[in-house]
Amino acid sequence: MHAKFTPEERVFQQEVREFMTNEFTDELAARIRHPDSFREAMIEWQKKLDAKGWAANGWPVEHGGCGWSATKRSIYSNEMALAGAPDVVPMGIKMVGPVLYSFGNEEQKARFLPATKASDIWWCQGYSEPGAGSDLAALQTRAVRDGDDYIINGTKIWTTYAQYADWMFCLVRTNTEGKPQAGISFLLIDMTSPGITVSPIISIDDEHHLNEVSFSDVRVPVANRIGEENEGWTYAKALLTYERTALSGVGYCKRTLQRIRDYAANERQGGGRLIDDPDFQARLADVEMEVTSLEYLELRVLNAVDKGGAPGMESSLLKLKGSDCQQAVQTLYWNLAAAYGGVLPGDDHQNVSGHAYGDQARREYMFGRATTIYGGSNEVQRNIIAKFGLGL
Amino acid sequence: MDFSLSEEQQLLKDSLEKFVASEYSPTQREKLLHAPAAFSADHWQTFAELGWLSIPFSEEQGGIGGGIVESAIVMEAFGRGLVLEPFVDTVLLCGQVLARSGNASMAEQYLEPLIAGELQGALAWQERQSRSSLEHCETEAKRQDGGWLLNGEKVLVSNAAANLLIVSAKQGDQVGLFAVPADNPGVTLQTLKLMDGRDAMNVTLTDCQLTAEHCLQEAGLQLLQQVVDEATVALCAEAVGAMDYLYQATVEYSKTRKQFGQPIGKFQALQHRMVDMFMLTEQCRSLLVCALCSVSDNSETVTEDISALKAMVGRYGRQVAEEAVQLHGGMGVTHEMNIGHYLKRLMMIDVTFGDADFHRRRYCNARYAA
Ligand SMILES: Cc1cc2nc3c(=O)[nH]c(=O)nc-3n(C[C@H](O)[C@H](O)[C@H](O)COP(=O)(O)OP(=O)(O)OC[C@H]3O[C@@H](n4cnc5c(N)ncnc54)[C@H](O)[C@@H]3O)c2cc1C
Repeated sequence: MHAKFTPEERVFQQEVREFMTNEFTDELAARIRHPDSFREAMIEWQKKLDAKGWAANGWPVEHGGCGWSATKRSIYSNEMALAGAPDVVPMGIKMVGPVLYSFGNEEQKARFLPATKASDIWWCQGYSEPGAGSDLAALQTRAVRDGDDYIINGTKIWTTYAQYADWMFCLVRTNTEGKPQAGISFLLIDMTSPGITVSPIISIDDEHHLNEVSFSDVRVPVANRIGEENEGWTYAKALLTYERTALSGVGYCKRTLQRIRDYAANERQGGGRLIDDPDFQARLADVEMEVTSLEYLELRVLNAVDKGGAPGMESSLLKLKGSDCQQAVQTLYWNLAAAYGGVLPGDDHQNVSGHAYGDQARREYMFGRATTIYGGSNEVQRNIIAKFGLGL
Repeated sequence: MDFSLSEEQQLLKDSLEKFVASEYSPTQREKLLHAPAAFSADHWQTFAELGWLSIPFSEEQGGIGGGIVESAIVMEAFGRGLVLEPFVDTVLLCGQVLARSGNASMAEQYLEPLIAGELQGALAWQERQSRSSLEHCETEAKRQDGGWLLNGEKVLVSNAAANLLIVSAKQGDQVGLFAVPADNPGVTLQTLKLMDGRDAMNVTLTDCQLTAEHCLQEAGLQLLQQVVDEATVALCAEAVGAMDYLYQATVEYSKTRKQFGQPIGKFQALQHRMVDMFMLTEQCRSLLVCALCSVSDNSETVTEDISALKAMVGRYGRQVAEEAVQLHGGMGVTHEMNIGHYLKRLMMIDVTFGDADFHRRRYCNARYAA
């Protein structure tokens, strides 16, 4: 048993590191941070990744993926996070992409896959509704067949980045009889269609990421349905599994811990440096141990996949433990920033606290509260692990 | 031993709760956030008229001679409603330093308008390098022409509406306390918006000239610590009020929010979590009672009792609020839902006057140091 990379993996790691350092510039990072330039700057970044051939690395090679081993995928996402670079916006490449190449017809693949990979389409995910959160199958948005179209009525909520989206992949009810899961279809909806209203929801970090999207007699061609009518739940479930394993956030945790160590070395408390305070060290150690164990949990899962096995029930733990770890790191970061973390940015989102990272510590902590809620809440994850993992 | 409230204390509690119920709905509060200095000048006048601003001052000083218990009653009620008016800053910090410093002329000059609701106060103690330590003060006070000259920077001073700042400054090897009018030409203020909705400020003192009588105490660290300690207890009472609100609001939400065909409060996994929220709140309330008695009784263990309370409130306050957010699902992370505002306030309370780690250390030092 050993945890060394092969020479080829080390070369790859170096290549990724250099790419991230050279291409993810401070200037680009600043534009991504600013809400007014976020969309355009993210697209620019994703296009750089695409030019390198890495944007859709997890896709099958025939659709432009990289065919990387699980180890390489982990090297890639770690290096990316350590460089502070954001991963691609997940809705397109990580969520609807796999559904398209797994269940879409040839025409749909040709129309959507290349454009998604090149970030020419910005996707949003229309699953949740006011009455259907954890109980997603209770969704009520109706799609009624009218010739070659469906007519859609209803409301989606918590739709991340709907304000930027060109297209939505959406779960709708096409049948009200039988089990709720059995009457759901998976549609692709052009966000410029008449009858769609996008209303902002301001979140706890005072930013606008979330939206309510309402549909009033919106026409969607039947040709935009993925797979069979009333079979949407199957495709959606496949996607949810994909979403969950993509969420462990080890790289993010390691980068933030690195920052915390650096900052604590400069932070003064009373007479001395905070990093020398044994109480602070003890807290830092607690969190680092958690993150190292998460890292090895992820590596174990990836290793099993590389050896040709199926990811076992440990993979269900990744989202659960990953989100806990992210929150633990964010809490420590916030505590390091102390009261400076409470200072809101001034006009034009400038940091005015007179403190280097308080603003960031607050935003990450605040929005981080959602990591245990979206993509299936941690309570729902525990229910799933209890049922399918432990057989209870 | 008697933990019950006196008749007057109960009346005070009732009138506070009535005020919060009628004036502090989430929509009413949201409006105040956009008012100058982020609170209501009218409410402050109401507080003066109802006598609340005079509570902790002696009768000779124009007050009603209330103690720590009355202050805690005020702040617990304010915590439930996330009241924004700067009672702690003006009355419990600035006001109490003035009242106890022994400087009669300053007390005479400032306490009357303060109690009448015409003067806002703040305690400017924190500095960039000090973190939570009151004694690591680099702002300097030098004697000059029979008066004083102050230079230095104070950060994150709570209550941007303050007309009078109590400033701690090193003079020789002592920490002196000074009454500095905010309009002194040597004072520059930069207002900061905080995530709990309040306005704070960074204060720069550049050759700030004061007359001799503006020095409240030349060696004032002990007074400063005592006033801060008691204000800390009041802040913890505020936190307990907020925690109380949070667990109750979560229980109510879980009865109405339905998923999988039933109220989410029917899921045992969530029931246990809410029981824990309730328990954490009651644990904090118990240490609050302990600290209140300790201050009232002048107990020898007052330092560790206050630090125990602050450490527990820091940790459990945030925990209860995080749980409240989690159990509200997506609703919990919206700006619209007030749950997140309680979380932000509890986080700010944790980092005010030392966070949970700081107070655990202070507890150890007080209790185990040889
Ligand atoms: C930041 C953010 C981004 C999001 N982005 C999107 C998006 O782009 N597209 C989209 O479709 N959705 C999105 N969501 C929605 C997300 O998937 C839902 O919030 C989530 O499924 C929870 O649903 P809910 O908010 O209705 O909470 P509820 O389902 O009402 O849950 C409330 C609480 O009850 C608990 N609970 C529910 N059922 C059970 C049970 N059986 N046992 C134990 N506990 C239970 C939950 O865990 C939670 O703590 C996003 C959410 C957030 C917060």
